[in-house]
Amino acid sequence: MDDVEPERDDAVLAGEYVLHLLDPAERATFEARLDVDGALRAEVALWADALADLAADVRPVDPPARVRAALERMAAPATDTVAPTRRGRSIWARLGMLGAAAAIALAVFVGVNRDDIFGLSPAIYIAQMQSEDTAFQVLAGYHPDEAALVVNRSAGDIPPGRVLELWLIAPGADAPVSLGVLPDDPKVTVTIPEDLRDVLRGSTLALSDEPPGGSPTGAPTGSVLAAGALADV
Amino acid sequence: MNTPQEIERLILRAADGDRQAFMSLYDLTSAKLFGVCLRVLRDRAEAEDVLQDVFVKVWRNAGRYTANGFSPMTWLITIARNGAIDRLRARKAKAENLDAVAELPDHGPTPEAAAVAASDAAQVHRCLDELAADRAGAVKGAYLDGMTYQELADTYAVPLNTMRTWLRRSLQKLKDCLSQ
Repeated sequence: MDDVEPERDDAVLAGEYVLHLLDPAERATFEARLDVDGALRAEVALWADALADLAADVRPVDPPARVRAALERMAAPATDTVAPTRRGRSIWARLGMLGAAAAIALAVFVGVNRDDIFGLSPAIYIAQMQSEDTAFQVLAGYHPDEAALVVNRSAGDIPPGRVLELWLIAPGADAPVSLGVLPDDPKVTVTIPEDLRDVLRGSTLALSDEPPGGSPTGAPTGSVLAAGALADV
Repeated sequence: MNTPQEIERLILRAADGDRQAFMSLYDLTSAKLFGVCLRVLRDRAEAEDVLQDVFVKVWRNAGRYTANGFSPMTWLITIARNGAIDRLRARKAKAENLDAVAELPDHGPTPEAAAVAASDAAQVHRCLDELAADRAGAVKGAYLDGMTYQELADTYAVPLNTMRTWLRRSLQKLKDCLSQ
């Protein structure tokens, strides 16, 4: 019995996370906690920072010039666009919550939030999104300083040929507003536009499956795969 | 000036859409990050691909970088390492074909490397030195080479559970040492 495993505290777990030693299920559970646990994020940041010093041992190697050229093209103004989502104008206009600013992009999606943990403030609202009819388990956390809604899908497969669209149903609103189509990544960050930040508390988030490109009507057309209300942490 | 302050300044300017700053950031850091990707992937074409993705992410997410006392190289190295390990695991999931992997020359530290990761590299090394050589080697194997528990167990010829125990105890000791 000399292989008895020591009790793992969060510091050790965070170290294993940074080393990529957790199996996929453990990793998903850990990342769901990261969204709402500032102390755990601090542990991860400390490990990432300490271990990054190991990279001092790595020999720098000049990459081929074509990488630089490709990045220069990528950063050129003509290609530097993210398609804005502009649904839900009429609903918000009706609610008097959005005026001329309705034309602003509603959401911008970023799929690399694992790298963001150094920057995100603690979440103030979280929503456990699920459904009795599906296997979907989604945890969403809102980080106010960055206006970032981190959406973490730990269970549930996107139906083939469909995309996930995220909706916000404000208290008292009679129709959902699209927060946009989510990339396929299990974890994405949605930047919440200024006009919607004040109505998040108590709002319901819902995920529906939609045809590629998102709902053609501006309202959910597919089935609701998971839903849950944003509540104080 | 290849200092953390300079790198941080370039990230912040890239966040404002400054392409020149972004390319300067690339010129200063790409060799290091390419080295990190190569070390994990041991395949130039894949490492090149990942490096490009890494800088696309940096360009799109520079605004998410916040100065917080951590070295900006930590942020960049974390993005590069995450990208490389994700690619490595995806490759392994596809086909276990380690025999075809080309060996890279040795990875001894160089003055350039020390200059880039300039912070206090000493601390983690000092703490690793307090561990038995094989235990320290396992931590490095996981970090630098992206090895899994199973691969580490195979490398050090111990049962999987023993490797888990080793590594978790090593992390606990490292943590104690690093927080001193």
